Amino acid sequence: MQSENGFYGEYGGSYIPEILHASQQQILKAYEDAKNDPEFLAELHKQWQQYSGRPTPLTYCANLTEHFGGAQIYLKREDLNHSGAHKMNNVIGQGLLVKRMGKKRVIAETGAGQHGIATALVAARLGLECTIYMGAKDVERQYPNVFWMRQLGATVVPVETGSQTLRDALDEALRDWSSSHEESHYLIGTACGCAPFPEMVAFFQSVIGDEVREQSINQFGQFPDRLYACVGGGSNACGLFLPFLEDEKVAMVGVEAGGRGIKLGDHSVRLSHDLGSKGIAQGFATKFIQDDAGQLQDTHSIAAGLDYVGVSPIIAHLADTGRIEMTYAMDDDVVEACTLLLKKEGIIPALESSHALAGAFKDAPNLPKDSHIVINLSGRGDKDIFNVAKAVEDETFPQFLSSYLATYHADMEKKA
Amino acid sequence: MSQLAEFIQDKRQAKPILSMTHVVYGYPTRQQSLAWISRLLSEGVDFVEVQFPFSDPVADGPSIVAACHKALEQDLNVEDFLTDMGVLTRDFPNSRIVLMSYLNPMYRYGLDKLAKRAAEINMPGLIIPDLPIELSADYITACEANHIDPIWLVTPVTPKTRLEMLASKASGFLYCVARSGVTGHSNHEGKGSTNSVDDYLAQIKAHANAPIGVGFGLRERRQIEALIGKADIAILGSALLDAYNQGGEEAGLKLLRSLFPTQ
Repeated sequence: MQSENGFYGEYGGSYIPEILHASQQQILKAYEDAKNDPEFLAELHKQWQQYSGRPTPLTYCANLTEHFGGAQIYLKREDLNHSGAHKMNNVIGQGLLVKRMGKKRVIAETGAGQHGIATALVAARLGLECTIYMGAKDVERQYPNVFWMRQLGATVVPVETGSQTLRDALDEALRDWSSSHEESHYLIGTACGCAPFPEMVAFFQSVIGDEVREQSINQFGQFPDRLYACVGGGSNACGLFLPFLEDEKVAMVGVEAGGRGIKLGDHSVRLSHDLGSKGIAQGFATKFIQDDAGQLQDTHSIAAGLDYVGVSPIIAHLADTGRIEMTYAMDDDVVEACTLLLKKEGIIPALESSHALAGAFKDAPNLPKDSHIVINLSGRGDKDIFNVAKAVEDETFPQFLSSYLATYHADMEKKA
Repeated sequence: MSQLAEFIQDKRQAKPILSMTHVVYGYPTRQQSLAWISRLLSEGVDFVEVQFPFSDPVADGPSIVAACHKALEQDLNVEDFLTDMGVLTRDFPNSRIVLMSYLNPMYRYGLDKLAKRAAEINMPGLIIPDLPIELSADYITACEANHIDPIWLVTPVTPKTRLEMLASKASGFLYCVARSGVTGHSNHEGKGSTNSVDDYLAQIKAHANAPIGVGFGLRERRQIEALIGKADIAILGSALLDAYNQGGEEAGLKLLRSLFPTQ
């Protein structure tokens, strides 16, 4: 979606400290040049295909469809990207842009760690130095991802300030960029931040919706009636939704993280039910979860990738105009939806993507049998093994961990 | 000429360089921060830059970030802050207080109302580092209507044409950031400018009608001495906070006196 000078309605813009002005202008120009350069676009598609395995399939879910007895249910399988999430689409794009600008280092923020992993993978492949900022709480929740980022050669910096989650990681990445902008690119992972990041990330993610346009026609002879995506920062939602923006018959539903409840600090609901309000921070204007004095507030979700305090200005604008319908799913419903997909279709979804499932499953029984819905399965759930084990109160998992630790220490001692 | 520029010009008759010290409002408590500002003003500093804390201060380094987060453990609001500042500007008419804050708390309060109230309490300058001049039309109008100055920042990596534009639009004073990066000591300390600070300041001076303040990374007397004749105000931020954290007001004053011996 094209912005007007970086704005989408009243959201977006470039509210950055003066020190970042020149770097931001450089990215604006590089992006404008690149997106109109057939060679760049050809290379982008080649890398998407050869490195990440695109196009990803559109999978029909016969068992789920029968289970709910309503709409025909399809999943867009972004979980099958290399790295296991849609994040790779954007990182491949920005990685090529970094090469084009001749920079040697990338900085990234990450919540669940999916964007961090994707960035570390691409940095390794392109020979770039890589620093990942991650909230200390997220480091704890998503340690397997941290482990792999470090194995890939990235420096992972746990951010101990503030709420120790994604928003603090973003602040710290901006601080790094303020001092290192001459040789470093800030490889932002979601459709947020100053211009051109929202537009650029949405552009690279739009490959998702572009593929669904073709696949839906091929597989069921029409565009989907409804699209579902989870909304944290908003990049997978932008990716699925934006290519259908002009197709007015295609309804779009964004699902936010309801967490434990609507009390402040228990959720990450910015758009549905007016729990967020307009603010300007972290480089752009959008709806933030904040208090009356304009201080950003703590958020919660069982999915680390959804507990961002703001949201893409593109999504905020489209929610305001009514083009996107916003709703939320609670932690418990999300675990239930995740379990249902495992059992019915043999697919392990990320907890982030399980929000989209939960939102869609609520509607599915009430939709006509000849309607078709597409749910963006933005990532796979392997990374959530510890959290899901706890959520389903699995009794054998702690035993496994204790015996793993005992053997681990014994083997280390033998080596020493 | 703006009130602020006139004040600076008058003061400069007697002093080679003026002092601006930075304090985070509400750190470690509201009362203690007000006491510290009073103490600095009693000491005769020319300016105090008071930062109204924000949860996500992206242009600040660890010292100021930690102070802002500590301060926000209390409920602080802009209205009380302005009232508190009004008492200080009344009690210390020979110095000036300027406000520094990030955009969001000020945006929520209302930029029009902020400019009006700032003028009422005789706080003549506002520094909002994440509000760029291109997006400031309403803010500039509000400042002009109330005869106070929006303070713009320039940096060593600001492109030449933009530097000239900002310098020519400066009113009150122009805040020149001495190096890349965030405030104070941190892992994100940028390199100095590729040109020397002297060249950078000379270039600014050639285009600026307003006085010049220099900040970021000032910790030693020799740095202040090097600015004499090239800038009007030396801004002491994180170094003062670090001293205050280590040894309270006394340590802060000791640093201040060593940097500005003729205060």
